[in-house]
Amino acid sequence: MRALVAAAAALALASCGEIPQDAAKPYAGKDDTKAYAGDMFKGDKAKYEQTLAKRAEYQNEYVRTGDAKVK
Amino acid sequence: MARMKFICDAERCIECNGCATACKQEHEVPWGVNRRRLVTVNDGVPGERSISVACMHCTDAPCMAVCPVDCFYRTEDQVVLHDKDLCIGCGYCFYACPFGAPQFPQAGAFGLRGKMDKCTYCAGGPEENHSVEEFRKYGRNRLAEGKLPACAEMCSTKALLAGDAPVITTIYKTRVLTRGTGDEIWGWAMAYKVSAKASAHAGVKS
Repeated sequence: MRALVAAAAALALASCGEIPQDAAKPYAGKDDTKAYAGDMFKGDKAKYEQTLAKRAEYQNEYVRTGDAKVK
Repeated sequence: MARMKFICDAERCIECNGCATACKQEHEVPWGVNRRRLVTVNDGVPGERSISVACMHCTDAPCMAVCPVDCFYRTEDQVVLHDKDLCIGCGYCFYACPFGAPQFPQAGAFGLRGKMDKCTYCAGGPEENHSVEEFRKYGRNRLAEGKLPACAEMCSTKALLAGDAPVITTIYKTRVLTRGTGDEIWGWAMAYKVSAKASAHAGVKS
């Protein structure tokens, strides 16, 4: 009887365990072309990232107007 | 490695729908499909807040986890995209997504659904960059042109920010620290300059 209770408890506690969520998810579709592979960046990833970061900075109007309290 | 994200500043959003319109126009999104839309809380009540919602390109995307045909993938920029040639339009991703991002065009009578469509972060899809096929299925590929998503670049109040996560969080941090965080955050001065309370601080222009 005690063994049965222990087995039941072990089974119940097993549901509390966490299944790993970070396993790589397979992708079955077609490969995509890299965004920096075209004529504009010619495969230069650093230039691509630099261009986007600079472009993102244009969204900060405080830098343009000089009104930022913290830069 | 960039981690492309959106941030929507609810203090600035004026519910103009410019972002949704820009998205529609940029990608020629069909009628009934809304890759981006506005959500307003307490609409019509003083103090109402609006935010612009689309696919948030989750780091641990539930759509990707539930897809039965594994048609989702993540680009080097951490943008979540999918292959429409593989999608079966089952709608699992729609139920899994907490933002309601996946959209299904009405493909025929009796509620027949087409293949899933969603925000691509203006990064196109698994086709040749700038090809006719890419535009037809996924819309324009602005990232490959060195541009950010049209919705954010079009935003007139710059409520919607897009870009690499560290860059846009720095912009947002600058904004919050400049305008303050207390009861002074109200009105035009708060949103575009500095609040009266904040301007009382030495060295801050009003």
